[in-house]
Amino acid sequence: MSKPSYVYVSYIRSTPEKVWQAITDREISKQYWGRSNRSDWKVGSSWEHQRVDGSNITDIVGQVVETRPPHHLVISWATPSDANDPGRVSRVSFDIEPQSAGIVRLTVTHSELEPGSQMERGITWGWPLVLASLKSFLETGEGLPIPKIKEAQQSK
Amino acid sequence: MTGPNFVYVSYIRTTPEKLWQALTQSAFTRQYWFGHAVESDWKPGSAIRFFAAGKCDVQGEVLASDPYRRLAYSWRVDFDEALRNEEPSRVSFDLEPVGPEVKLTVIHDQFGAGSKVYPGISNGWPMVLASLKSLLETGEPLAATSEAALCAARQRSLDLARATAA
Repeated sequence: MSKPSYVYVSYIRSTPEKVWQAITDREISKQYWGRSNRSDWKVGSSWEHQRVDGSNITDIVGQVVETRPPHHLVISWATPSDANDPGRVSRVSFDIEPQSAGIVRLTVTHSELEPGSQMERGITWGWPLVLASLKSFLETGEGLPIPKIKEAQQSK
Repeated sequence: MTGPNFVYVSYIRTTPEKLWQALTQSAFTRQYWFGHAVESDWKPGSAIRFFAAGKCDVQGEVLASDPYRRLAYSWRVDFDEALRNEEPSRVSFDLEPVGPEVKLTVIHDQFGAGSKVYPGISNGWPMVLASLKSLLETGEPLAATSEAALCAARQRSLDLARATAA
């Protein structure tokens, strides 16, 4: 039985270079994701998804699997405690394609998810929030208040 | 046997009132929905027509209308013979205020197995909803969903429908 994939397509008024930078730059990713993406982005290198509240806690880790800047990036994805369990390591692909008239199509595919897992539930809720924030950030200069939104949802 | 469902969640920096307006008034829909004007009084049971460039592309009936919170209507594609014969599907919009944002959940479901309409809508919705978000947040929709892009959009839906044939 194959594992489910989650796919989210977004259209953003920006350039592939700016979208790539927003995803991979440690300072820029902080501004709309509420986390910093840290890596040298070479194939085989590790990457970390780190909190920006001063705790330096890393929520997600993985490796860079494929890279073809600024159009294609594939990373593996797991919590630090699951990183050595292949059954719990999933995969995220970012495909950044120019469309007509200054628009980029960003397709995020999160695959190899464990069906019914907390991770699957978490990313299904999280990706639309992060990608809406990315779009707002690139188009208006301001992302969404992700930590506040997460808190509001969790207190329901 | 039932067909696939399309689900899309977005967060838009706007108010539920403005988002509702944008979903139900032609002054807005024309800008982000391939030039489509929409005719309806939005009361449950009332008819809906989406039309552009002199042609009615989609017809439906209002199934639920709870202003600024939930809107649902049936969806029958009208612009092509083959697609017209399919049973109507259903679109619902749920609007939920989340801090300074509105969380918009769009569900397009009730497709039969092998639906020819489904591939077109699952390709089209992300474009239309991205353009709606850009319009409400920046004042400008995406050029790719203007009326000028309508013919290409209809053709894409037809090409995707044919690719699912037999």
